Amino acid sequence: MKGKKSFCLLLFFLGLLVSTFAIRGEIFAQERISTIRYEIWVELDDQNKMLHGKENIIWFNNTKDEIKDMWLHLYYNAFKNENSTVIQESKKEGLLGVKVKEGEWGWIDIKSIRLADGKDLKPSMEFVTKDEPLHPSDQTVMRVLLPEPVKAGKEVELRIEFQSKIPRTILRSGYYQSSYFIAQWFPKPGVYEEGRGWNCHEYHLNSEFYADFADFTVHIKVPENFVIGASGKQTDVSPNKAQKTITHTFEQNNIHDFAWTTSPRFIKVERDFIADEEVISKEYEEIASKLGIPSEKVKLSNVRMILLIAPEHKGQIERHFRALSMALKYYGLWYGPYPYETITMVDPPFRTESGGMEYPTLFTAGTGLIRNKRVLSPESVIIHEFGHGYWYGLCANNEFEEAWLDEGINTYSTGKVLAKAYGRGALSPSINGIPLAGIIKPPEYLDYELDRATSINIVKYDPITTFSWHFFSRGSYGLNVYFRASTCLHTLERVVGEDVMLRIMRTFQMRFRYKHPHTQDFIDVVNEATGRDFTWFFQEYFFNTLNFDYGISSLRTYEKPENLRGVFDIGGKKVEFTKKKIEELKAEEKKSVEKEVCITEVRVRRFGEARLGGDVSLKLKIHFEDGSEEVRFWNGQNRWENFIFEKQAKATYAQIDPDNVWLIDSNLTNNSLKIKPSRGGIFRLTTHILFWIQNYLQCLSAWS
Amino acid sequence: MLLYLWLANFLFSLIILTPFYFLISNDFSRSMMQDQMVKGLELFWLGDLVYKYQNIFPAIFGWMLVPGIFFLLLYIFLSGGIIGRICALQEEKINLRNFFADCGKYFLRFLRVFLISILAYIIVFGIGARVISALFSLWTKGASSEWPLVVSSNLKLLVFILLFSIARMFFDYVKISLVVEKSRKTVKATISTLSFIGRNFFKAWLLYLGVGLIAVLFGLFFLGIAKLMARTSLILVFIFFLIQQLYILSRMWTKILFFSTEYHFFWLRKIS
Repeated sequence: MKGKKSFCLLLFFLGLLVSTFAIRGEIFAQERISTIRYEIWVELDDQNKMLHGKENIIWFNNTKDEIKDMWLHLYYNAFKNENSTVIQESKKEGLLGVKVKEGEWGWIDIKSIRLADGKDLKPSMEFVTKDEPLHPSDQTVMRVLLPEPVKAGKEVELRIEFQSKIPRTILRSGYYQSSYFIAQWFPKPGVYEEGRGWNCHEYHLNSEFYADFADFTVHIKVPENFVIGASGKQTDVSPNKAQKTITHTFEQNNIHDFAWTTSPRFIKVERDFIADEEVISKEYEEIASKLGIPSEKVKLSNVRMILLIAPEHKGQIERHFRALSMALKYYGLWYGPYPYETITMVDPPFRTESGGMEYPTLFTAGTGLIRNKRVLSPESVIIHEFGHGYWYGLCANNEFEEAWLDEGINTYSTGKVLAKAYGRGALSPSINGIPLAGIIKPPEYLDYELDRATSINIVKYDPITTFSWHFFSRGSYGLNVYFRASTCLHTLERVVGEDVMLRIMRTFQMRFRYKHPHTQDFIDVVNEATGRDFTWFFQEYFFNTLNFDYGISSLRTYEKPENLRGVFDIGGKKVEFTKKKIEELKAEEKKSVEKEVCITEVRVRRFGEARLGGDVSLKLKIHFEDGSEEVRFWNGQNRWENFIFEKQAKATYAQIDPDNVWLIDSNLTNNSLKIKPSRGGIFRLTTHILFWIQNYLQCLSAWS
Repeated sequence: MLLYLWLANFLFSLIILTPFYFLISNDFSRSMMQDQMVKGLELFWLGDLVYKYQNIFPAIFGWMLVPGIFFLLLYIFLSGGIIGRICALQEEKINLRNFFADCGKYFLRFLRVFLISILAYIIVFGIGARVISALFSLWTKGASSEWPLVVSSNLKLLVFILLFSIARMFFDYVKISLVVEKSRKTVKATISTLSFIGRNFFKAWLLYLGVGLIAVLFGLFFLGIAKLMARTSLILVFIFFLIQQLYILSRMWTKILFFSTEYHFFWLRKIS
């Protein structure tokens, strides 16, 4: 009995111990950001334009599924031959593939792939293509079978040896002479989605990337005279005098991609973003108040800024750092502090065509030899590509399937930062690299104006939420996911208010940091932050191709007729009111009555197919000759609606949406209607057109 | 003469412009958006303009082309009058009758010169351009920075402008030769001009470039005014319109100056 009791006690305590560890393991699993641990050794062979690499991958199964295989991206095979998905897709639009010369292709070969215990996985290796339309010869996705499935909560370690031929840049990654930009260069596991399997798409023309968060340690061996920049923080430098090489080690946790660049031409400049110098306490208080959170939660951290810039652009170093500082400040204040120690900003090596692209903790900008101060280049690309560190870098959406979640949101954010930090920027015409802003006066604009102007023409092609490679064309992809999505977000901001929009964006960022959010997650945050249901907004403007166009169809204003023509029964007699009689009566009335009563009839119409929804309505304003105004609201559901007013004044004009809330309206011109036409602005425009026609004819005559 | 040139240019431009004016007026005159147009170029109304008229852009190009061709023929016609009157200036005063008489007299000859010049332009800008581009490409092929590209593209542009100026100058002298020599033989005049230019190339070209520089200076002066001048009210817009017309007049005046200086150079060389 005593023994039985002790045994039960032992079992009890054992059970407690096991459950404690189980709970701790579950908590540990929930706290764990990175699914993968990479350690990569790579050597750059400058002469042969090759990379020789070894890679250890420790992959953690944080799902409940048992996983029998692993899918990996081999993105460099997109540049192997004309059979690849990227080249096939680009040929349809007359891009890319046409300019690849002999010897300039790129590829990646897996020399060996084994488990940590030495089991060879190469015999089971096969290339997989599943994206419609099929490109069966594409080799950018590979699959290997695992001898034993990876159980939930367990890890598997792969050891890979690979060799890559660096392409003469076709898309984003490559070389020119001895300058390199290396991206999407290592075998990278796809994202395993619980219950759905591997999310691992081929390299598409109109798409970017998707991967799991990981901890990286990368050892890069390059010639000793090469300056290098990479994702993360440099933690070691090991020269090898005999080989005349240096091995640079970079480390970074909690990122989902790793890119690097090297060239003997780079100038490397480092500065610190010191939060206390860039942000005053009043700014912290203001933001904290708007967000309804304590000031401590909005405090920014110091960040080491690293710039690699071409020697011919060194006159623009200050512009680069100022733009990056502004980006760190405002993205940090509005959306959450930048969580990494370093940010590397790269002026892309000449002719590597790697500019304007983002990678976690590293991005490429791009500038020119001569830049005008009023033109916000390179500032706009710096702020935009840095911003991707938030939208895509931290909130790691699937760029294949929901590209607008980073491109559209970031285009919206970029516009706001530029407006705050710089105000209006000028358009930048140039001829042969010489900016003309010095001799002509280019028009100035805010980003949201340009976003709207470019996006109103594209609505009928594709919904914003289309899978990237399914868009009608590269143009439709770009205009929809960047500019139309941004315009919709600006509209949403004007509907809900700036402060509420700020809360939406910050909540979305902070809630989904280090996660893979979807469109529905964003919609849920919008509904939660506003306390209203805005699902209709996304249904109408993101998931559809409906044109939004409300306008004033007609405006009539006239004196109310006191008497009408015809025969009337007055005092038992039939009295005929003729036109003449009415005019006589009217003349008599005018002597006694100060002002006539006027009728104003306004008809508003829904010209487009997209509608308002929820509790939102359209504001209608009518202005009268006596200076008064009337305001009405319309829910915009029907095709048209009439509004009638009786006042002692005639109307001068009617206007819907006078506050310019609905930026997605494709025709702002019909939002207002005046009684009396005016032509001052038309005169100005047509005199300009006349002048240019005269110049055109004069140029023609020069050939005579 | 200047007035006739300007009038022709202005009337043709008005003809081309008229449909656009009515189109824009119809869509914008009763909208408050047109008030924004007074302030200058703004992306809101520009975006609406592009949205409304995007489908008619191909038609616009066609509409510009046909009157353009007619204007070109008109200009060839008027050139006869200009050169004819310059050549006869010492003997007769310029009046409407003798100006248009010269226009008619020299029209077919100048038309033939124009057709020959098209052949020359095809050679210069078709074949010559490829050769020049290939030469510049050799220079920029192995460039390791942007500088060679920017320098070469601008040098290439300059070379084309200079080649164009030589071709233009040459055919101006052909026309002058036809008038001075009172000849109808276009091909013969072209060949003799080759010899004339061959003997006097640098002086003729320097003179031509000197007059061209005046045109460039006029252009820079106009751009300077355009950049500095605010156009925020209708009165200022109208004043600027007049300045634009003065600039157009300056271009025409420069064209007449080209002919005048070339005639006098030709005549002096002929005498000597």
